[in-house]
Amino acid sequence: MFYTQTGVLLSGERLTKTEDFLHRMGLVYEGGANYTVQLVSEYGDILGNGCLCGNILKYIAVDSSLQGEGGATAIVSELVSEAYRRGITRLFLFTKAGNEDTFRGVGFYTVASTSSVCFMENSRSGISRWLSSLKKAPEGKGITGAAVMNCNPFTLGHRYLIERAAEQCGTLMIFVVSEDRSRFTFEQRFEMVCRGTEDLNNVIVQPSGDYMISHATFPTYFMKEGQDKLAANAELDFNIFGRRIAPALGITRRFVGTEPYCAVTRSYNECMKRLLPEFGVEVIEIPRYGGISASKVREALDKNDLQAAGELVPASTFGFLKGTGAAALRPDADE
Amino acid sequence: MEIITTGVAGTMESSDIIVRVEPKDTDGIELSLESQVMHQFGKQIEKVILETLGELGVTRAYVDAVDKGALDCTVAARTLAAAYRGAQSTDFVWKNGGAK
Repeated sequence: MFYTQTGVLLSGERLTKTEDFLHRMGLVYEGGANYTVQLVSEYGDILGNGCLCGNILKYIAVDSSLQGEGGATAIVSELVSEAYRRGITRLFLFTKAGNEDTFRGVGFYTVASTSSVCFMENSRSGISRWLSSLKKAPEGKGITGAAVMNCNPFTLGHRYLIERAAEQCGTLMIFVVSEDRSRFTFEQRFEMVCRGTEDLNNVIVQPSGDYMISHATFPTYFMKEGQDKLAANAELDFNIFGRRIAPALGITRRFVGTEPYCAVTRSYNECMKRLLPEFGVEVIEIPRYGGISASKVREALDKNDLQAAGELVPASTFGFLKGTGAAALRPDADE
Repeated sequence: MEIITTGVAGTMESSDIIVRVEPKDTDGIELSLESQVMHQFGKQIEKVILETLGELGVTRAYVDAVDKGALDCTVAARTLAAAYRGAQSTDFVWKNGGAK
């Protein structure tokens, strides 16, 4: 016997009980819930949980005592209805490998899966529709290459990488990370990249969309160890890129900058070099230019040192920082 | 009738069906159905959805439906509501002439 409670507020004692429940189910609550549905026993014990976090369904777990009673279906059904009421119609979820059938029954389809995790969306043709909406490389121009970049903000380092990469292929596609978790908004970053590469006529700039998984999107909450988290994250990301995106766009080279500072990114790059060639995509690392990094630009901006920032960015970005861009800065955003 | 935005109707409760329609640039209806009774009634459910859209004059749409054992009249009603919402139309034309 269980009751469905919708719109549960995760705070105080309820939050503690929810964290305990998820922990028992092998998940870690990392926040971010906009709307929560729980299955509760007549004694008030939590028997099932699911949260809507933006357009991602997360923290879905059902106690073994309710297995086979449609608990997971009830949770997902409520979350999907609420998402639709909020006008969010493209939905995604991550689940452990082996749970796919449960979610298939409520209209979710697999985008890609690895031995540990499965990425699903609520449309059978979602990724193929997105791929067909993207700009394609013109035919007969030789090799098509790609790089996925955040450009927060666009620096001389990014410009250098793009120039070197563009020399090595007929068409270069730059995917600007769509996830809006950076100091500069997606629109600002996209505009800076477009302006900063205007003169390079074999470069196509487009949004990374929902299928190039950033650190921010990927749920690490059901992985035990830090290293496992990273490996699973990278494995899924490269699986989608290698199996779905690269063939659809004819991409056979992926470019990435060397990473002297951040261990996480470095290990991500190592993963890329190991996994993408299996899908026929060659990985080329381009040495970092003059130790420039976007974080140094942000540090300079924090100190209101526009001149120091200006030395690290191309004129197009500098103009942007001086103009409307600087006023729109959000120093409190996550990095 | 032209589908200009995403329209949804229905639930995933037992005996119901949830239907989502989305705009499509090219001709034709691309229907994707998920049902517990696919082997028994899958073709019939698809037929009702397509006929209902046909009567409304919808010729371009992506349609995603998750069926939980709905009867034909429910399938038709949910499809109708989703299409009107997707077309942002309230010019309802009731088959039975509306309330008398």
